[in-house]
Amino acid sequence: MLATVVDTGALLKTVAAAFVAGVGVTLVFSLAILGAARFADLSRDGRRFAAASFGALAIVALAAAAAAVTIGIIVMTRK
Amino acid sequence: MDNDVILVIVVGTALVFDFTNGFHDTANVVATSISTRAMPPRLAVAYASVLNFAGAFLSIAVAATIAQDVVASDAITPTVVFAGLIGAISWNLITWYYGLPSSSSHALIGGVVGAAFVAAGADAVLGDGVLGKVLVPAVVAPVLAFVVGGIAIVVCYRTVGRLRPGPVSRGYRLGQVVSGGLLALAHGTNDAQKTMGVITLALITNGNLSADADPPTWVIITAATAIALGTYSGGWRIIRTMGTRIIKMDPAQGFSAQGAGAAVILASTHYGFPLSTTQVISGGVMGAGAGKRLSAVRWGIAGNIVTAWLLTLPAAAAIGALAYGVTRVFGTGSLGPAVVTAIGLALVAAAFARRIRQGAPVPAP
Repeated sequence: MLATVVDTGALLKTVAAAFVAGVGVTLVFSLAILGAARFADLSRDGRRFAAASFGALAIVALAAAAAAVTIGIIVMTRK
Repeated sequence: MDNDVILVIVVGTALVFDFTNGFHDTANVVATSISTRAMPPRLAVAYASVLNFAGAFLSIAVAATIAQDVVASDAITPTVVFAGLIGAISWNLITWYYGLPSSSSHALIGGVVGAAFVAAGADAVLGDGVLGKVLVPAVVAPVLAFVVGGIAIVVCYRTVGRLRPGPVSRGYRLGQVVSGGLLALAHGTNDAQKTMGVITLALITNGNLSADADPPTWVIITAATAIALGTYSGGWRIIRTMGTRIIKMDPAQGFSAQGAGAAVILASTHYGFPLSTTQVISGGVMGAGAGKRLSAVRWGIAGNIVTAWLLTLPAAAAIGALAYGVTRVFGTGSLGPAVVTAIGLALVAAAFARRIRQGAPVPAP
């Protein structure tokens, strides 16, 4: 009976997308913080190559987080 | 003449509901940012207020209008809508007084269901719609947000757990400003539309607009302004419950709750399975606390919140039914809505006067 009154397809897609987006955004933003913090520490220690690697991680992760926010705004405007 | 007076009363009541919706739901957006000191309290509510106002202009998909699929369309009259709004406003004020976050959307649906039940009988209430559009999402929203928030905080701690706390806290506070902004925009888009839908429906039934008309510009601007003013006035009691009473939050937990909440709300918007913003954020906050350790959540407070959720639909329905009954005592003209409005204003004034005499028990943080 429940399956006839609930749009189970939309429900399952919502659950899957919420998991991917919720955990994904948190992960990429945490990686951005990790990259920025390690970049600052390693730069102070003069380890330029390792610092550059973490700097690149911070930039890529921040770009991914910014893309997620942009997608969120697009979803709002297109509903 | 009578119809025009009823229309004016319905429009005014809808804007009052929009205002209460704003101040009731401010907590969803700003509570975690305030409690983790990501933003000062007044700046946080001003920021949320501006983005709520902007969000109201992002989409005007008023097709998803009040109580659609829940009440038979031929049972909806301006008086039923008016009584439903009274039920929703009353429940919003009651839960605000006790500092409990509850869904304004469910209160509005409950109010209209109760009024339609009294006006047109049990057949006017669509049981399948109530189950599929209200009850099932009410279970899914907090559980989904709880699980996503719980996993998200574990991911945060695993990723940055060995770093110095200073830069980590600053980073997550910055993230909260963005995720809070996204939530405020989503709230403005979703909730201001309800008021636009109510007013547009009243204008259509009164013959001022054609059945397929979009909301006029003045409706969009007044609805956006009412929800923004309500947001700016800040429901500090609920902010305190959401921000500090459920869990004592660190910036990573605040970001996880808000980020998970925004993701769940936007995913549900995208796939057309609408979930309550209040229930999602409350679930996310509890999940972010439980992900650290189960005992970090004050389960007594969480239980009170869940009880308020369970009561929202029947309580708002009962008040909506009562409001409709009182209205009809005075006939079908404008006298009934006018009397109910006067009684409502007197009760609100008495409640505020009592609060002023007692002093503000929950001042702005």
